[in-house]
Amino acid sequence: MAFGLIGRVVGTKPSRLSTAARLIPARWTSTGSEAQSKASSGGGGENLKTFQIYRWNPDNPGKPELQDYKIDLKDCGPMVLDALIKIKNEMDPSLTFRRSCREGICGSCAMNIDGCNGLACLTKIECGSKETTITPLPHMFVIKDLVVDMTNFYNQYKSIEPWLKRKTPASVPGKEILQSKKDRAKLDGMYECILCACCSTSCPSYWWNPESYLGPAALLHANRWISDSRDEYTKERLEAIDDEFKLYRCHTILNCARACPKGLNPGKQITHIKQLQQSG
Amino acid sequence: MGASKLSGMQKQVLSLYRGFLRAARSKPIEDRKRIEMIVSTEFRHNSKEVDRKNFQYIEYLLRLGTKQLDQLKSPDIISLSSVKVVASKT
Repeated sequence: MAFGLIGRVVGTKPSRLSTAARLIPARWTSTGSEAQSKASSGGGGENLKTFQIYRWNPDNPGKPELQDYKIDLKDCGPMVLDALIKIKNEMDPSLTFRRSCREGICGSCAMNIDGCNGLACLTKIECGSKETTITPLPHMFVIKDLVVDMTNFYNQYKSIEPWLKRKTPASVPGKEILQSKKDRAKLDGMYECILCACCSTSCPSYWWNPESYLGPAALLHANRWISDSRDEYTKERLEAIDDEFKLYRCHTILNCARACPKGLNPGKQITHIKQLQQSG
Repeated sequence: MGASKLSGMQKQVLSLYRGFLRAARSKPIEDRKRIEMIVSTEFRHNSKEVDRKNFQYIEYLLRLGTKQLDQLKSPDIISLSSVKVVASKT
């Protein structure tokens, strides 16, 4: 019980902090039974790491700030998401971030860690005493702390009509539309996309034209439906994105392939679409 | 009210306000009065409290308002209601 009370006192510190402000180290707050039972973590053998996390509260709006938190890595899981959850549980309950599966499949915890976009649940905490900086996905409107507004991203995904469209009914009505193994293999590298938005928010072209350029994620999905052998609206799909802004803002910067936490290559799929546009 | 040129952001705020009033017109008369009351008190409160130069917060409020307006425009929604929360010290 006392443990929780200590946490709340820490949380009521004023939200406007100077840049040098540090919160009380984790050792002080965890004077509860858990930390004392781990005799090794007290005193020597402690591994403190500082996390600088972007904070902005719409209820007390001021300038966004980077707030410092010290975490004992011996007490914490290996991934950045473990550190964030530990901070939220023990040090600052007002820290806001999205998370769900904790295994890199839902795409909720996408954020910018040390300058690179990635999933917090899949990014290991870097050992060493360097500070880790955690900010929300770049060039996205911030709703609170690390939570960003994804509506534009989702609307762009919706606009490419990501569902199977057919003109003729299935050859065996009521049964699956068959597809050869080779045709199914064409979809590998595209169906795994979890719509985390790491790629689109790492693309400078998307930063400068977020409303008109569709972005690597939406174009990857557009290619997924264009390449699907069961889909019969290929020509219409290609014509819909054959636009100066929707497709051709891509200048093969290839930041998307670098940022993708699932190892996909949206740039390659966009090149494939451009080739089809050329030949078609 | 300044008769001088309005900045782009001020125009956006005014057009959002107008959008709310227009949406209120399409609702039944009792709900219409309630919507207008809530919207006007919210806008007036923010215009006094929020610093004119706090662009980030104003843009945040504009986005929030646009989303709420889109919801209000839908014919399924009939009214707005607002609750005042007072933070207790306990």
